[in-house]
Amino acid sequence: MDLGRRIASKLNEATFERIAPVALANAERNRSRIDRSILELADRPFGDGEAAIVIAAGPSLHRRRSLERLRDGGFRGAVVAVDGALGACLRAGVVPHLVVTADPHAERIVRWFGDPTLTAPPTDDYFRRQEMDPAHARDEMGANRDLVALVDRHGPRLIVAIATSASPAVVGRCETAGMQLFWWNPMFDDYDQPESVSRRLHRDNGLPCLNGGGNVGTAAWVMTHALLGKRRIGLLGMDFSYPPGTPLTGTQYYPELREMLGDRFAEGYISLPNPFLGETWFTDPAYYWFRDVFLEMAQEADCETVNCTEGGILHGDRVPMVALDEFLAKVARA
Amino acid sequence: MTKYLRGNYELKATVEESAEGAQDATEAFERKALSRLGGSICFVSKKGFLWKGDGADGSGTKDRQQA
Repeated sequence: MDLGRRIASKLNEATFERIAPVALANAERNRSRIDRSILELADRPFGDGEAAIVIAAGPSLHRRRSLERLRDGGFRGAVVAVDGALGACLRAGVVPHLVVTADPHAERIVRWFGDPTLTAPPTDDYFRRQEMDPAHARDEMGANRDLVALVDRHGPRLIVAIATSASPAVVGRCETAGMQLFWWNPMFDDYDQPESVSRRLHRDNGLPCLNGGGNVGTAAWVMTHALLGKRRIGLLGMDFSYPPGTPLTGTQYYPELREMLGDRFAEGYISLPNPFLGETWFTDPAYYWFRDVFLEMAQEADCETVNCTEGGILHGDRVPMVALDEFLAKVARA
Repeated sequence: MTKYLRGNYELKATVEESAEGAQDATEAFERKALSRLGGSICFVSKKGFLWKGDGADGSGTKDRQQA
């Protein structure tokens, strides 16, 4: 097995070890602000019928103009977006019914909501380098300023499914913008084990534990079918990979791979075919793990999932790649 | 090893790093990588999608009742 796949096969345990301490600390810090549970959302109507679109923040969102096509396509089902796609959605005139946030990172995630406290470009070059929202890469300060205004304008209309692991900065920003917050616990481990972290957290705050599948995009998909009860789900921006030609410096884990693997850092990447486009995409160990987990979870899900990303590496028996226009036409006829 | 073997002489024997040593190095290398990579949220295999507590089964899987 090559290096990238070997690392990917061990990321389940590694994620727990890296994420659990900070996520649990955030849950404790958020304790007094936790009010409503996401279970209250189960009875609310989100869009018409059983169809939903789940929007992640992969590069195909821009490459395929997916949001503009969704906006113009007259889709009437539920629209669920991850935090990283919120800015792109609002700029395109797509206001999600539900926004999902989970990552406990102390400084980065609040930027997806526009950070009013940002006064100078930070030393962390993540937003100048990331592939998910090109607006931040072009003009970091300008994009943040515009996003603050956009999110403030739409805030009171936005419902956020926020994990107890979210950083207090994200919680504060969402509250200030007038968003309605509904809380959930990330599932950390097997709740049937007596010393389970998930069980302890649930006992402490009474909230349900959601199996997040490694990333907020998968968590949003889980929420859409297991909580909202949607049965026909189209995925957008769920690339879990990079288009051919993407510089390695523009990939999510480039600094980490470079630092860890030195001159061998390129061995950490994995190439995979995209049959929809007839292209070869490449991915890193974390995204590859997300893909494997998604395909495993899709086997158990009580819903039909089609990947309308029109890019990336996520495809399998239970997750066929389908053109967005085809999905929209099909659900419109149903 | 090479940093100890400098001089104007040649060894008669060929000194090679053991396969075990190389294996250890690779494992250390991977452990280091794993400490910085990974997801933003955990994944728990075979435990359903949404656990609402004891007495309420996880929902959303094909073979479970909606709680």
